[in-house]
Amino acid sequence: MSIRDNLITALTANLSGHSSFGISSELPYSTADTPLYLKNLRTVYVDELQEDVTELFNCLDNNDVMQTETTCTVYLATDAKNQPTDINTVVANIQLARNGVTAARKSSEVTTELDADVITYNIEFNFITV
Amino acid sequence: MADVINVSSGSQALLALSNVAGLSSVGPDSNAMIVPQLTDITVNNSTGVYRFKTLDNTAESAVTTPATNQITTNLIVDETTFFGDGSNTINSVVADGLFGASKNKTEIYFSIGFEGADTGDSILTGKGFISGLAPTVNMDAPVWTTPVTIEVSGDFTKATQS
Repeated sequence: MSIRDNLITALTANLSGHSSFGISSELPYSTADTPLYLKNLRTVYVDELQEDVTELFNCLDNNDVMQTETTCTVYLATDAKNQPTDINTVVANIQLARNGVTAARKSSEVTTELDADVITYNIEFNFITV
Repeated sequence: MADVINVSSGSQALLALSNVAGLSSVGPDSNAMIVPQLTDITVNNSTGVYRFKTLDNTAESAVTTPATNQITTNLIVDETTFFGDGSNTINSVVADGLFGASKNKTEIYFSIGFEGADTGDSILTGKGFISGLAPTVNMDAPVWTTPVTIEVSGDFTKATQS
């Protein structure tokens, strides 16, 4: 399974106790210039992976050891005026989905954007695998 | 460009090991262990010097003493290379691995290919003992790496790959 699949599996498990939130396996593409996560509030969308492959060890016989840094962004939008009472727990559980991925190093970062009465949580995951 | 030895092709800086004299060729058909995934290799030929002063001279004089010869390298730990295949009956370094040859204090013969293993390529040969293993790993670089030192017994011999 790819890292994206593992993330979706972990997100599904971590949010199972939050019935007012859903998870989509679709990419957060846009229709009529509006991304899906802004059309479908309270639904988590996982973007495509961005990968950066670099040399970890450069060997004299060219059997180099490579490392892959993978970035994946997860989107969740909710009503900003009447935020769900469990939004903090939901965001924390989304971040914990990083533990569903096998990697040497894992990190996540949350940023938010306000647009009119909608707040969008952008959760960026970083994984380094060898 | 001057006659530099550029090893970026990946087939030129070679280290071959055997416990049998004459079986440490860097050639691909030899029974030697061609140590894989070296990240660097250094050949040390450090001539000893004894300095002394005399009353009729304003500067020190020097005489040479026997050299200390050593090969130091760092490599990615390959399981078979490090722990041995346990079955090779010709070359105990292949059977016991670098760790076994170090632990058993096996006298090993080595060849260092400076230019690769083609006919006419320059090589250095000698014998010595494996020392200095210190495998290490961490989550920033989650593959085992280790330094390896060959404490050379005697002199290096410059040879030509046949």
